Amino acid sequence: MSKSLLIISRQAPWSGPGAREALDIALAGGAFDLPIGMLFLDDGVFQLAPAQQPGALQQKDLSANLQALPLFGVESLYVSARSLQERGLHEQRLSLAVEPLDDAALTTLVARYDQVITL
Amino acid sequence: MATLHMLSHSPFSDSRLSSCLRLLGPSDALLLCGDAVYALQPGSAQRQALELMPSSIGLFALDEDLNARALDGPQRLQVVDYAGFVELSCRFDKVNSWL
Repeated sequence: MSKSLLIISRQAPWSGPGAREALDIALAGGAFDLPIGMLFLDDGVFQLAPAQQPGALQQKDLSANLQALPLFGVESLYVSARSLQERGLHEQRLSLAVEPLDDAALTTLVARYDQVITL
Repeated sequence: MATLHMLSHSPFSDSRLSSCLRLLGPSDALLLCGDAVYALQPGSAQRQALELMPSSIGLFALDEDLNARALDGPQRLQVVDYAGFVELSCRFDKVNSWL
């Protein structure tokens, strides 16, 4: 059995390569059938905001890659409810189906995985 | 599964430390290195938050990073060198690097 990996993505989508790199790790792991989970935390929740226009910054659309996560077998997708709330985002209006977790549930989530990386 | 959380960014310019404190488990530990040791700055809210963590949570910092910045930790702080860093990484089930 492969070791499970939780990727905590906490960078906003257009501030640098962090968000895309976290996503690339998830997609690559998913392609190899590794048990991968992904948690969106802090500014990382902005990746899930609807109706973004990356073309305005001459960048590629990250949301297309996000939509690919379930296709690559990465279906354990979580978001910090507190990070959403702090930033005025609503869980019903995100661009991807993710499970909101409170702080206590985050602790349990991290404990459940064999390995964790925060980008 | 106990996790060693490794922080290396200043807590004054970034929310890594506060987010980390929110998802710490009761048997987890915190290792401060690089600019993250500024969290031990006396009189800061960050230092107070570290002092108020449950006693079951280990608090570690890299000796040379403390020395370079002339910082001392509270009583509960355990100072480690690089060999201690490696030993810590092996002691915990996993290491979460807050990159």
